[in-house]
Amino acid sequence: MSGPGPVIPSFGQGSSCVTGDHLFCWDWVRQHWSDTLGPALVQHLELTFIAVAIGFALAFPLALLAHRFRLLEQPLGVVSALLYTIPSVALFQFLIPFTGLTTTTVEVALVAYTLVMLFPNIVAGLRSAPPDVLEAAHGMGLTSRQVLWSVELPLAVPAIIGGLRIAVVSTVAIATIAAFVLPEGLGYPIFLALKEPTPFKTEIYSAAFLAVALALCCDAVFVVLRRVLVPWARKGLA
Amino acid sequence: MIRKHTRRAVKAAFAISLGVAIVIGLFAAVLARPAHSAGPTIIIGTKNFPEEFILGQLYKQALEAKGFAVSYKENIGSTELTQSALTSGKINMYPEYTGVIVQVVFHRNKSGATAAATYKLAKQLLAPKGYTLLNPTPFFDTDVVVVTNATAKKYGLKSIADLKKVGNFKFGAFPECKTRNTCLVGYKKQYGITNVTFVPLAGISVYSLLDSGKIVAGDGFSTDPPLAKPSKYTVLADPKHVTGFQNVAPIVSTPIVKTLGAKFTSTVNAVSAKLTLPAILAMNKAVIVDKQSAASVAGKFLQANGLK
Amino acid sequence: MTIADAANAHTFVEAIHFIGDNPGLLATKALEQLALSGAALLLAVAVALPLGVVLGHFHRGSNLAIGTSIVGRGLPSLALIAALLTVLGIGFVNNMVALAVLGTGPILTNSFDGVDRVDRDAVEAARGMGMTGSQILRRVELPLAVPLIFTGIRVSAVTILATAPIAAIAGGGGLGDIIVNQASYRLAGVVGASLCVMLLSAVVFLALAGIQVAVTPRPLRGSRVGGSPPRKEML
Repeated sequence: MSGPGPVIPSFGQGSSCVTGDHLFCWDWVRQHWSDTLGPALVQHLELTFIAVAIGFALAFPLALLAHRFRLLEQPLGVVSALLYTIPSVALFQFLIPFTGLTTTTVEVALVAYTLVMLFPNIVAGLRSAPPDVLEAAHGMGLTSRQVLWSVELPLAVPAIIGGLRIAVVSTVAIATIAAFVLPEGLGYPIFLALKEPTPFKTEIYSAAFLAVALALCCDAVFVVLRRVLVPWARKGLA
Repeated sequence: MIRKHTRRAVKAAFAISLGVAIVIGLFAAVLARPAHSAGPTIIIGTKNFPEEFILGQLYKQALEAKGFAVSYKENIGSTELTQSALTSGKINMYPEYTGVIVQVVFHRNKSGATAAATYKLAKQLLAPKGYTLLNPTPFFDTDVVVVTNATAKKYGLKSIADLKKVGNFKFGAFPECKTRNTCLVGYKKQYGITNVTFVPLAGISVYSLLDSGKIVAGDGFSTDPPLAKPSKYTVLADPKHVTGFQNVAPIVSTPIVKTLGAKFTSTVNAVSAKLTLPAILAMNKAVIVDKQSAASVAGKFLQANGLK
Repeated sequence: MTIADAANAHTFVEAIHFIGDNPGLLATKALEQLALSGAALLLAVAVALPLGVVLGHFHRGSNLAIGTSIVGRGLPSLALIAALLTVLGIGFVNNMVALAVLGTGPILTNSFDGVDRVDRDAVEAARGMGMTGSQILRRVELPLAVPLIFTGIRVSAVTILATAPIAAIAGGGGLGDIIVNQASYRLAGVVGASLCVMLLSAVVFLALAGIQVAVTPRPLRGSRVGGSPPRKEML
C-alpha cells in the first residue's frame, strides 16, 4: 500500500517534574514561554486593548448624548444592567453564528461589557459639576458647548479614569473566558491544561498568574495616569 | 476655579485619547478581516481533544510549507459543533474519523464490515453533500470503555457486557457518546447495558473524573497515553466491535479540492500516509504526557519526514 | 447531516421552546446553581462583612477595602476555578470557594464605605450620650450603613450568579451544565439556560432588595444611599 514507515523523531522527554505532576515546573515555563505563554499574553493584551478602545469610543459619545438628553439615560441604563447578567460564556457562543469563529466575535462581547462599565461612569462624571459652578459659568456668558468642554469635561476626568480603570481590569478577567470559543488569550492554556488526564498544574498556575499580574499592572497604570491628569483630586474619589 | 492652562491640557488630552481610541478601533477592525491572497484560504478546524490538535497542526504546517494560505481554528468543539462549522462555511476542512462519519454524522446503525469498507461508505455518503474525503490514515482510534483497575477488580470486569453486574452507575463521556451507535447506544443495544447515568464531559478529562470517583466507567480513546501499559486503567473488551472502525480522513469541501487541485490533495495525502499507530502514539505522548505543544510536535514530525 | 446551528430571531423562539420543553431539567439545574451561588455568597458575606464593618468603624484600611474591590474585579474566574481545582478537587467545594473569592470585593468595599461614611455628627452625638464603641457600631453605624451594605451584597450576588455557569466545566453543576454543553443541548438550549440565569439574577436581586427593606430601620426607609454629603475638593 504505502512506502516505508515514518521516521518518528524524538520530541524531547518532559522533565520528571512535568511527568511526575509536581506542584510547579519552572523548566516547563522557561521552555514553553515562547510557544505557549508568551503568545497567549500578547493575544490577551490585544483583546483587552482593542475592546476598551472601541468601548470608550462608543461610550463617550453615548454618554454625551445621555447627558444632553436625560430621557436617554434610563433606557441605556436598563440595557446596561441587563447585559451584566448575561453569562459571558453564553454571549460568546451566541455571537458565533453571526460573526464566526473569529476575534470579532470575542471583541463584540467584550466591547458590550466595556460599554456597560464605562457609560455610567462617564455620565456620573459629567453630572458631578456642582450646580453653582455651572450657574457661574452660564452667568459669565459661556455657551453650553463651552461649559461642556471647559467645566463639565475636566471635572469628569476622575470619574472617566475610574471607569476606564474598572473597565480594563474587568476586561482582562472576562477575556480569559473567551478561550472557551476562541483559542486565544491566557484562558486558552488554562482550558487545555484542565483537559489533560490529570489537570496540568504548572500551566494553570502560570497562565493564571500572568492574567492576574496583567490586571494589576493595568490597574497601576491607571492610578499613575490619574495622578498625572488630575493632580487636584484628593485620594479616594475615583 | 480650574486654571486656564490646565483646562486646555485636559481638553487636549481628551481629544487625543478619543482620537487614538477611534483610530485603534478602526485599525483593529480592518486587521481582523482576513487578508486577501491568491486562491481561496483553507480554513482548517479541529475537534476538542489533543489528538485532533496534532492532526490539525500537521495538515496546517504541511500545507503552509507548500505555499498554501491556511487559517486555523483549533478546538471548535464536539463532532456536532465542528460539523456545524463546516456546513455553515466557517471552516472548509477538518480531520474526522471514518466510523464517526457513518454512524454519527449520517446516523447509520452500523459501519462497514472492515476499515476499508467503512472508509468507502463514508466517502460515498459525503460526496453528494459537497464534501470530499481524502485518503485515510493507517492508524485508527476507537472509543473504548475504561474503568480504574480497582473497579475492574471489584466487579470482575473484563468486557463491556460485564458492566451489567454493576448496579446503576455513572458513565462519563463526550456528549456525542450518548446518542452514538458506536458508543452508549451501541452498548445498550448490543450488550444490554441500561443501568447508566450519563455524565457529559465539559472540559475535564474522563481520566480525572475516574480518578476522583465521580464516574465509575468512562469513554476514552484507544490512543490515549494513560492507556499505554503499564496503565492505571482497564480497557473493557468489545468483542462485537460496537465501536467500529475509526481511521482518520480529512473532510474537505469539494469546491476547495477542485480549485486547489492535485498539489493540495497530494500534500494532504502524503501527511496522512505517514500517520501510523506508533507515530500517533508517540505524538500523543509528547503532547499529553511530556507537555510539548501540538504545534512543535507536529513541526518536528513533518521535518523528520521531509514534509516541511 | 447534522443541522448547522444558524442563529437569528428564530433562535430566541427555539430557546423559549426549550424552556417550555424542559421545565424539570431547568428547575433542577437552577436549584443547583442557587445552592452553589448561595453558599458562595454566604461565605463571602461571612468573611467580608465583619471585616469591612470593623475596618470602617475604626476608619482604617481604606486602601485595603478599595484595593480588594479592584483586584476582585480583575480576578479571572476561570483562573481561580482552575487553580482551586488542583488543590481542592473537582466538585462543589472548589467552585464555592472560587465564587466566594470573586464575591468578597463589593461586600468588603461597601461594608467599609457604609460604616466609614456614617455622618460624623451622629457618631459624636452618640458618644456624647455615653455609648461605648461597640454600642455605637451596633445601634448607630450599622443601621445607617444598611443601604450601602445591601447594595454591595446585591452586586456580589448578581456577579456570583452570572459567573457560576463557567464553574460547570469544573463540576460545579447548575445551569452552566447546559450553557457549556452546546453539543448536547444546541444553541437554543444555551440561550434558554442563559435566559433562566438572567431571570434568576433578577429574582435574587429583588429578593435581596426586599430583605433590605425589612432590615432597614423604619425611619430610614426611603432615604437615599450613603452618609455624609459629597466632598467639595473639586474646586
